[in-house]
Amino acid sequence: MVDFFQNTIDGVMIGSSYGLLALGFTVIFGVMRRLNLSYGPSIMIGGYLGTVLYLNHGAGPLVVAGAVVLGAAIAGVYVERLCFAPMKAGAGIASMVSSFAIWMQLEQAAILVLPRHTYPFPPLATGATLEFGPFFVRIDHLIMLVCALGLAAAVQVTLYRTRFGLALRAIIGHPVAAHLVGINVRRAMLLAFAAASAIGGVAGFLVLAVDQQVTPMFGMWATLKGLIAMMIGGLGSVPGAVVGGLLLGVIETHSQWYFGPQFRDLIAYVVLFAFLVARPGGLFGRAPSPDITTPQKA
Amino acid sequence: MLDVSDLVTAYGKIEALKGVSLHVESEKITCLLGPNGAGKTTLMMTIAGILQPRRGSIRLGGTELVGLSPARIVARGVALVPENRLVFPQMSVLENLLAGAYQRSDKAEINVDVERMYTRFPHLRERHQQLAGTLSGGEQQMLAVARALMSRPRVLLMDEPSLGLAPLVVAEIFSIISELNRDGTTIFLVEQNAHMALQVAHQFFLMEQGRITFKGTPGQLAEDEVIQRAYLGTRRTAG
Repeated sequence: MVDFFQNTIDGVMIGSSYGLLALGFTVIFGVMRRLNLSYGPSIMIGGYLGTVLYLNHGAGPLVVAGAVVLGAAIAGVYVERLCFAPMKAGAGIASMVSSFAIWMQLEQAAILVLPRHTYPFPPLATGATLEFGPFFVRIDHLIMLVCALGLAAAVQVTLYRTRFGLALRAIIGHPVAAHLVGINVRRAMLLAFAAASAIGGVAGFLVLAVDQQVTPMFGMWATLKGLIAMMIGGLGSVPGAVVGGLLLGVIETHSQWYFGPQFRDLIAYVVLFAFLVARPGGLFGRAPSPDITTPQKA
Repeated sequence: MLDVSDLVTAYGKIEALKGVSLHVESEKITCLLGPNGAGKTTLMMTIAGILQPRRGSIRLGGTELVGLSPARIVARGVALVPENRLVFPQMSVLENLLAGAYQRSDKAEINVDVERMYTRFPHLRERHQQLAGTLSGGEQQMLAVARALMSRPRVLLMDEPSLGLAPLVVAEIFSIISELNRDGTTIFLVEQNAHMALQVAHQFFLMEQGRITFKGTPGQLAEDEVIQRAYLGTRRTAG
């Protein structure tokens, strides 16, 4: 029984990183109804920037964290300008496929700059743990959970209590009408993209600090975990992203404990499949709504 | 007030507006009538900056609007109540109104205007916390008008405000249009309902196949003929 609860706690902790990744995905998907496959690789670029500062200049955790977030945001803006801003209304597939191409490009760029497969990443709180009776919680995991809940709350407040949030929700509701009331739709979308990638950067920093290493494959991992967590939680729902992430983490830890590590991802995908069949909108989500439009050149 | 001259807007190779010129007079109701596919909505979307014209000019007072972003055009004082209303369905009535004032930063004045809208459209006050998507068609039209007014426009463009509404609601909408105009709002109205439109309009234009084919005041042309041309067109009729 102790094992079961300890596994659940570990699952929640690991799941909070998935939740953070899904949160950034949700901001992009919720606003643009567009799938950005380069989301993870953008975060990986941030991670590499952090590692370079750590290795070459001995930067501390705060500077590295800032570099990861900033690097991810800049890479995110690059992806938006290249794959999303120029695409016409209704060309969601074109955006998705071109974001796949940029994924490959970012991965190759990272390999060119740092050709070894693995580079060290500075830890945040080296393996320190807190004890609650028979249970253990790693401090860096706890920071992850706090960040996930805090950022989810911040995103929710931004969406529902600020002028920028009003603009984003108007764009979700009716992009043409959003133009007509005077919202600068293109700028709002760019900002949303940068913010989403920055949130991904926070997730990236925390996960890399726990792993203490970064590889070019981190991008794919981040895209996959974020995507699965978002789809389980609910497309375009902020609480859904976090709950989906936590649930995925718990499912993974229990699968690993009861069936072995080779079954961990298999079972996670089975759960995703079950959700797609039975509840395609996810736990909290609405079914996907019609495509977004931007001003058309006549 | 609003001057459109030689405006050409095309979808690919097909020109929907083939050189449209017209003038909207200050503090009057100007109406644009015409059959389906004449290019009326294209004209409205071009004035609002959603569509880019191939050539021609749109001037408000002395300012050229062609080439400005939709947001800039709203800031210059043009607001469009779009066809099919396009309220933000997942936002409350109040949030829709606040979105209408997106270009403004005078918070106190915005609240005064919200109060004004509630006074003019009492239904909206009753339902101010309700999601706009749950309102009836008529209420959504009122909300769309109020949302456009929240930007304090110098010219209010309305694209088919009576579309899909019950006759009683249509009458209400048109009495609101007259009322707004009496308070000094310049209105440029696109309508299919020629009978109602001619009752409120000070001057009107007929548009057929992307061109203005008549300009005048109601009474200058028999209503029968206006209606025939507005619904069926005169060019290339069978026979």
